[in-house]
Amino acid sequence: MFNLIKKDLVIQKSQILLFIPFIMFFAIFGDHMSPFFIFLISSLYIPLNGYIYDEQVESNILLNSLPYLRKEIVAAKYIGSVVYMILSIVVASIILYIFDFSFTFRDVAIAAGLFFIFTAVAFPLFYVLKPGYIGVAALSGLVVFAILLSPVLEFIEKHLTSITEFITSLSTTALYLSGAAISIGLFLVSWIVSQMIYQRKVF
Amino acid sequence: MQIKQGLVTGFVGANGAGKSTTMKLMMNLLQADEGEIKVFGKSHDNNNEKEIKERIGFVYDSNIFYESLNLKDIRRIIAPAYKNWSDKQFYDYIKLFELPLNKAIKTFSKGMQMKTSLALALSHDAEFIMMDEPTAGLDPVFRRELLDILKDLMADKRRTLFFSTHITSDLEQIADQITFIQRGKILFNESIQDIQERFALVKGKANLLNPSTEKSFISVKRSSNEFQALTNNAEEVRKSFGDQVVLENATLEDIMYYAKGARHQYV
Repeated sequence: MFNLIKKDLVIQKSQILLFIPFIMFFAIFGDHMSPFFIFLISSLYIPLNGYIYDEQVESNILLNSLPYLRKEIVAAKYIGSVVYMILSIVVASIILYIFDFSFTFRDVAIAAGLFFIFTAVAFPLFYVLKPGYIGVAALSGLVVFAILLSPVLEFIEKHLTSITEFITSLSTTALYLSGAAISIGLFLVSWIVSQMIYQRKVF
Repeated sequence: MQIKQGLVTGFVGANGAGKSTTMKLMMNLLQADEGEIKVFGKSHDNNNEKEIKERIGFVYDSNIFYESLNLKDIRRIIAPAYKNWSDKQFYDYIKLFELPLNKAIKTFSKGMQMKTSLALALSHDAEFIMMDEPTAGLDPVFRRELLDILKDLMADKRRTLFFSTHITSDLEQIADQITFIQRGKILFNESIQDIQERFALVKGKANLLNPSTEKSFISVKRSSNEFQALTNNAEEVRKSFGDQVVLENATLEDIMYYAKGARHQYV
């Protein structure tokens, strides 16, 4: 299992080198961006790249011919993505700190929550999509996600006052806890769905 | 169909006959619509799957390794997957095959990719080595070397080798057993000696042919006054036609060629 998680780093070795300049770019030029968005993009960098690399060759044939179970291959993707998310956020925080880009713990928490929601939707799709489309799907998904996020939040704020009132009435801890519970819950459901899809796949 | 332990089984059949499909079924990459596959007497379920794959060395007919990686990185991914991986064996094969460790797989020629697969398949002490068209695209020199390497591997009779090929002369050199499939059905599965005894090319005058004599042939090709046919019962043909026909040894290629237009569903 650990080996499968490590594999995602080995296959994108050259891309990893770009990771730090990538965040530095945002730290320098992204001063109009919310820090949570920078955290979200950095946390998705390695997991998404892992899928994009995996679909370029018949990696499913390779991995399934090695002594691994299909459920381990899926589990490695989910567990690995969390591991890489945490590592990336740590690295990104350090870089943002060095470049004097102010952020709060709230940004990290929102990024992590959105990371879970995004991957919960995206990963099962990656197992359904035909190879060759994952990169495009991930990118366009991310763009749509970014564009829709603030209008949706605004819409909720304006029209669904009962929801916003309820949310603002919650204490910060309760807000964080329920947010965490929902996003992690979605992530776990997605894991089960992906495993069911992958179990039935033929290569 | 059974693959016998300790022997080399050659798997032949035309393009699209189902050779690669059979191999993928054996690796549990595909699910069977009907029938059953057992490897080492065990079927693929959660308890056995890892153990089975631990003991199989695989070589596919196309590249399945990450193209942008070099051999060192590929080793980094594959080696830890196996309990019995031996780095020494791996580097010995790399040396023997003269493969570069620091070049990306995508720069490799077909032969080098085959050698890569082979080195990886042979470095974890697999008991069962399954190869899909290993000799395709190789130059004649390396093809011979490969056959020698395979012969060496088989010397202690501990391993079992199962490989598909179109180059039937390779089989005649190293196979003990031949399995022939056509349109997903097994035509025969026999030792190479039995095949050589049973099958023969028959040549004679066309006027010997009539519906009842034709029954002894798998298929017949005729010209204006002569015919050539393949039989799977050389003994009987010798008895019934005597000196009127000439019998020649049928090569596997002859068998494949004639079986394609066969009247019988089974040979």
